[in-house]
Amino acid sequence: MYPVFMAQWMKDKRKPYIILLFIGLSIIATLIFGDIDRIEQTTAMVYSTEPNAEAVEEKWLEGLNGHETIDFIISDKEEAHEQVAEGAIDVAIHLMENDYRLITSSDMPNIQIVEQYVHKVFTEEAQLEAAAGDGNTEKLRSELDSYLENPPIQVQTESIDGGEIPNYDMGMQLLFGFTLFIAMFTIGFKVNGISGDKVSGIWNRLILSPVSKTNMYIGHLLYSFCVGFLQMLIVFLIFHYVMGYDLGNLSMILVITAVFTLSMVSVAMLITGIVKTPEQFNMVYPSLIPMIPVISGVYMLPGTISNPVLQFIGDMFPLSHGVEAMTDVALFDAGWNDIALPIALMLLIGVFSMGIGINMVERRK
Amino acid sequence: MLETINLSKTFKEKKAVDEIDIYLDDGESVGLLGPNGAGKSTTISMISSLLKPTSGDVKLNGKSTIKDPSEIRKVLGVVPQEIALYEELSAYENLHFFGKIYKVKKGFLENRIQEVLDMVGLKDRQNELVKTFSGGMKRRVNIAAALLHHPKVLILDEPTVGIDPQSRNHILETVRKLNEDHGTTILYTSHYMEEVEQLCDRVYIMDHGKVVASGSKDELLSILSSEDTIQVQLSKSSDNLLEAIKAMKPVRRVDETSDGIRIISKKDSSILNNLVHAAEKEGIQITHFQLEVPSLEDVFLHLTGKSLRD
Ligand SMILES: Nc1ncnc2c1ncn2[C@@H]1O[C@H](COP(=O)(O)OP(=O)(O)OP(=O)(O)O)[C@@H](O)[C@H]1O
Ligand SMILES: [Mg+2]
Repeated sequence: MYPVFMAQWMKDKRKPYIILLFIGLSIIATLIFGDIDRIEQTTAMVYSTEPNAEAVEEKWLEGLNGHETIDFIISDKEEAHEQVAEGAIDVAIHLMENDYRLITSSDMPNIQIVEQYVHKVFTEEAQLEAAAGDGNTEKLRSELDSYLENPPIQVQTESIDGGEIPNYDMGMQLLFGFTLFIAMFTIGFKVNGISGDKVSGIWNRLILSPVSKTNMYIGHLLYSFCVGFLQMLIVFLIFHYVMGYDLGNLSMILVITAVFTLSMVSVAMLITGIVKTPEQFNMVYPSLIPMIPVISGVYMLPGTISNPVLQFIGDMFPLSHGVEAMTDVALFDAGWNDIALPIALMLLIGVFSMGIGINMVERRK
Repeated sequence: MLETINLSKTFKEKKAVDEIDIYLDDGESVGLLGPNGAGKSTTISMISSLLKPTSGDVKLNGKSTIKDPSEIRKVLGVVPQEIALYEELSAYENLHFFGKIYKVKKGFLENRIQEVLDMVGLKDRQNELVKTFSGGMKRRVNIAAALLHHPKVLILDEPTVGIDPQSRNHILETVRKLNEDHGTTILYTSHYMEEVEQLCDRVYIMDHGKVVASGSKDELLSILSSEDTIQVQLSKSSDNLLEAIKAMKPVRRVDETSDGIRIISKKDSSILNNLVHAAEKEGIQITHFQLEVPSLEDVFLHLTGKSLRD
């Protein structure tokens, strides 16, 4: 077993580019697609050209500041226009006593968010002033604030067990989804090495040797496992420690990773058994694998796929279970009990696929 | 010591190997000759326990190897027809891998690798990747990999197809030395008659899954002792003359060759006279005439109706 393992390693040691590429790809894909619903910080420059410019700027800035993702900075007209023209900032706001103008050079989604927000602040202020009439706006404002601190109706959302409902972080799901998905390729191509050895005649040499068949398979499969696991491990460590993502309980994530890898090695073995040659595998596998995350709903919010047939097909692959268990751990602090089912399902898939797969490979001649 | 008894293999409908009996004595060098698809590789696979026979048996020292192949695997070295090596590894790394697989003891492995590399003449290229090797060099590594564990019996399946003369000579020399100096028993499969003539004490000729002839070189040649091969050069070619010769009673076959015709005929003293007369009648001169000593190639042609090389 050990020499078989080492021979695979020696082969790959000379050209580790594919694995490095896959690691890079996992991270880039997560960054590109995983950030869709995270709004970047937007900077907006505000200025006024009224005679009492400073007062106007101050008055509005107080109301405007308080948005999580938009920073408002006071500037002057020339500077602001220049920055927008250069594209250094996306938007500038020309403030007037009771009105505003947005200055921008493009129509990006974050500008709409700025526009909506500024509009809301101005409308509220206008309402407040209208309500105060000739009276004191400031007094009305503080009355309103203190009233709202103790509102007559209080709504609180609780999850079923009484805890808080965290926001579902789609980015985290995609992080796990992409990483596992791309690792499926690595695992598959390594498992396909068994077919390669069979075709080249190396397998026959091994059969004639004192090494047992079990050890020949274990050598290959263990290597596929290690490479797949290592790839995901590196990606997760980079996300967790370098890029500051909070993956939750990392050791649980890694246990799930290991079970997923085991299960996926088996599925790859099954596909190896179904196809006839390593070349066929190289055609079938890369066309089949990209469908799995789609069917498994990895790219969509949980519950989006309601077609029972698709759900069933998706559940036959370890990907959906792995991603589910990982998001549960990372987002909802799930314990071992909570992820027992997906882990058991992955192991079950693994046992079945491996059994059938090896049988089919052995029968083929 | 190693023998097959009524060994047969049927793939679906096709009888690839049909009840063949082959034996190898200790220290012998035996050739297995046959055209493409004759069943040579299938026979070798069954002998080396890689393929289960449909019927018949393979015996090592009187014991069947089919139920328990562990004994035969211990004494056997097999050089497969294909290059069974990791192309992405160097020659040395390949041999190291197969040495480990064959459980060559750690202290001996390093020495043994250098020994077999020396035998096949690749010691100075051992650290280059196999995929950068020429076909002949790959074949030599392919052989080296089967020698690491000191096999008593070495089976080579067409080890010289499609390679340069230099590599070929090296391989033949290696096999000869193994047989003569180390007492290794050899089963050598080939398309090439002259290799087998050079290397082997005995020869089996296979065609369509059957052994059609066997014996020492002389025994095989005696098959043709009742026939003559006559090579004739003519002043010009003529279909009429060809027909006339074919019609002669003792003549078995007539082939046009690049520089005349070749006649295979039963031994018969009248043939020369008849030939001269027939040529005269057509106004053709016989410019060259030669009675050929039959070769194994002719035996092969006689038995299978096929030339050895396609
Ligand atoms: N696995 C198989 N399935 C079906 N038919 C096979 C199989 N292996 C070999 N055959 C057939 O059996 C016959 C003998 O094949 P074999 O490879 O033993 O011939 P060979 O003498 O080694 O030929 P070559 O000189 O081309 O190597 C051929 O007709 C081949 O097509
Ligand atoms: Mg063959």
